[in-house]
Amino acid sequence: MNLTGAEIIMECLLEQQVDTVFGYPGGAVLNIYDALYRYSDRINHILTAHEQGAAHAADGYARASGKTGVCIATSGPGATNLVTGLATAYMDSVPLVAITGNVNRNLLGLDSFQEVDITGITMPITKHNYIVKDVAELADVIREAFQIAGEGRKGPVLIDIPKDVTAARCSYAPSQPLPYHRDELPPDFWLDKAAEMVAKAERPMIYAGGGVLSSEAAGVLKELAERVDAPVSCSLMCQGGYDQADARYVGLLGMHGTKTASETIKNCDLMIAVGTRFSDRVTCNTSLFAQRFPVIQIDIDAAEFNKNVNVQVRLKGDAAEMIGELLKRVPQQHHADWMAEVAGWQRQYPLIQHTNNPSGITPQEVLETLAELTSCEAVLTTEVGQHQMWAAQFYTFRHPRQLLTSGGLGTMGYGLGAALGAQVALPDKRVVNIAGDGSFHMNANELSTAARYNIPIVELVFNNEVLGMVRQWQKLFYDNRFSQTTLDKKTNYELLAEAYGVRAMTISSREEIRPVLEAALALKGPVLINCHIDRDQNVLPMVPAGASVEEPILEMR
Amino acid sequence: MERDNYLLITTHNNTGILQRITGLFSRRFYNILSTVAAQDVDSEFSHLIIVVRGDENVVRQVEKQVSKLHDVLEVEVLDPEHIVLREHLMLKLARTEETDAEMVAIANLFRANILNVGQDTMILELSGSPKTLNSLINLCKPFGILQLLRTGAMAMSV
Repeated sequence: MNLTGAEIIMECLLEQQVDTVFGYPGGAVLNIYDALYRYSDRINHILTAHEQGAAHAADGYARASGKTGVCIATSGPGATNLVTGLATAYMDSVPLVAITGNVNRNLLGLDSFQEVDITGITMPITKHNYIVKDVAELADVIREAFQIAGEGRKGPVLIDIPKDVTAARCSYAPSQPLPYHRDELPPDFWLDKAAEMVAKAERPMIYAGGGVLSSEAAGVLKELAERVDAPVSCSLMCQGGYDQADARYVGLLGMHGTKTASETIKNCDLMIAVGTRFSDRVTCNTSLFAQRFPVIQIDIDAAEFNKNVNVQVRLKGDAAEMIGELLKRVPQQHHADWMAEVAGWQRQYPLIQHTNNPSGITPQEVLETLAELTSCEAVLTTEVGQHQMWAAQFYTFRHPRQLLTSGGLGTMGYGLGAALGAQVALPDKRVVNIAGDGSFHMNANELSTAARYNIPIVELVFNNEVLGMVRQWQKLFYDNRFSQTTLDKKTNYELLAEAYGVRAMTISSREEIRPVLEAALALKGPVLINCHIDRDQNVLPMVPAGASVEEPILEMR
Repeated sequence: MERDNYLLITTHNNTGILQRITGLFSRRFYNILSTVAAQDVDSEFSHLIIVVRGDENVVRQVEKQVSKLHDVLEVEVLDPEHIVLREHLMLKLARTEETDAEMVAIANLFRANILNVGQDTMILELSGSPKTLNSLINLCKPFGILQLLRTGAMAMSV
C-alpha cells in the first residue's frame, strides 16, 4: 500500500490495537488530524482542553487499562505542554507514546514559527525519543516506540514528526507487534539463596511497589504472602496490588505510612521488596533504612539495585516471574507469633482522623463512605497533596489499578486528566478524582472535556481553601508562617462546574456526606462535589524530614 | 575509594547519542572527566571512552544507567590494570632564541614532536599517558604556555 506518513501513523496505531488517543490539533499536525478524520470509525480521539490534560489522560488510560496510552500534540507550545505529563509518566514508569508534529524539514533549526527542539527537551524524561526525518522509517519507528514503552521497565516514548513527513508518501506493509523480550532468570544460586533466607526468617515482611502492578503480579504476591506467612506493606504506587481488606495488609510505608507499617519494619528480620525503587518518600532517612535486617530486592531494572538502599540479594526480572521462582523454592512457613504481634499493632494503632470540631467533616468519613457506596470497586485518581494521602489511607483498594496517582513527580493537576483517561478505558467503572482546591485550579479546564464527551467522572474536591500539605509543613517547621498557602479564592466551584456543563453538588456538613455522594454516584454524567473541610486537618502519621521511617509522629497540635 | 574509571561505550551511531549520554551524566550528577567519541569502521556504530571519577558504587550505577539508553549497545568498565592508556596533547609555547635549546631538549626527552616554530612560538605535540603529559606541561610552564589542547583519555584493554 502506498500511504501518506499520516496514514502510516494511523495504520501503525491500529497494528498496536490502539483504539483511543488523546490530543489537541495544530498546524504541524494538520495532516495527522486529517487522517484521524478518515479513521474516526476505528480510532476514537478525545479532544482535551489543553495538551497537558491529553498527556495525563493518556497516562490515566494506560494505568487503568495496562495498555500503552497515546497522546498527540502539535509542534512548539503543543509539544512543550506535554512535558509535565511525560515527566509524570516517566517517574511512575507508565507506558506512553506521545506523537508531536514539527515544522517542515527545511525549516528545522531556523527558529521557525512554533518550532521547538522537543526531542532535546524530553530526553531526560522519556525512555527514548525520535525525530523522524524520512517517511520510510516512520512505521518501524512507531513499532519500536511501542515496544520500548511497554517492555521491561515501562515508560514514555516521544516521536517527533515534521509536517512534510506526514504528507510524504511511502509504501506500507502491515506487521504484527513482537512479543516483549524477557530477561533470563537470575542464577539458581541467588534464587536458592533468597529462598534460604526466607525459610530462615522468623519475622519476614513483604514490601511491594508499582512493579507488582506493571507485571500483573498481584495474584502471585498474595500467594507469596500466604506461603511466607508475612505481613504486607504497599507503596503508594502499589495500592490495591495487595487486597487491603486482608488482615496481612499493614498499610502504606513511608513518610505518611501507618504506625503498624513502621512497627513492622522496625521489628522484622527480613524484607522481601518487590518492584520498588525505595523512593526517598518511602525510606525517609535513607541512611537509617533497613539497617538491622537483610533485604531481598526483586526489580526489572538492574539500575535500581543499590541505588538508594544497599540490598543483600538482587533478583533482576519480571516481578511475577521472580515471585513464581521463589514460590517454587519456599515451603510453607508459619509465623503465628509474628503475625499476632502485627495484629496487635493494627489494633493498637488504627488510622483515625481527629477533628477539632466533632460535627466537622473529616476526609476519612467521606472516603470511607465513598468506599462503602462503591463497594470498594471504584477507580480513584488523585491530584497531589493532603487529599492524595487521605485517598491512599482511607479508601480500601482491593484490586490493582484502582488508585492512579502521581507518586514520583508529584504533579498537581494530574488527577482530572487521568480520571478522564481512566473512565474512557473503563466505561463500566466508577471513576472518582480526589482533588484539593489548590490542585483543582491547576487543570480545572478539563471539566469542559468531561462535559463535552459526557464522561461520567466524579470530581470530589476537598476544599480547605489552603494548600494543606505545604501549610502542614509550615506549621511543623516554619513556625506557622503561612507564606502563600492561604488561597481564599473567590471561586464559586458550583457555578464554575456548571459553566463548564458539569453538574455540581456541595457537602458542607456531616449529614450531607452520604446523600450527596449517593446522588453524585447515581448520575450518568460528570459531577463536581465541593466538599468543605477544616483547613487544619493534617496528614498523620508523618515522618519529619531527616527522621527514620520507624519513628513517625502521630499527633500534631 | 574514588578513582578514575574508564568506560568503553558502544552505541548505534544515531543523532543525539552524545547528548543522550552526556545528558544522563549531568542529570544524575556523575563526575565526567573526559570523553572521546568516534565512529567505528562500520559507520553504524560509535565508540566512546568516558572517564568518570567515583567509587565502585558510582561506577556500577553509571554502567547500569548508561546501559538502559536505547541506542547504547554495550558498556564495558575497563580494568585499569589491563589497559593501555593514551592522551594527545598540543602545546603552544612562547619562545625566544635563548630558550630554544632548552625547549628542544625537553621535547626530545619526551619524544614530543615539534609541529611548528614561529617567530615567538613553538608548538609541541605528544601522545602519552596522562601522567607523561602532565610532566611535560609542568616542565614547559616556565617558558609560558600560550595555548593548551588535550584530548580526553583513550583506553584500550590488552
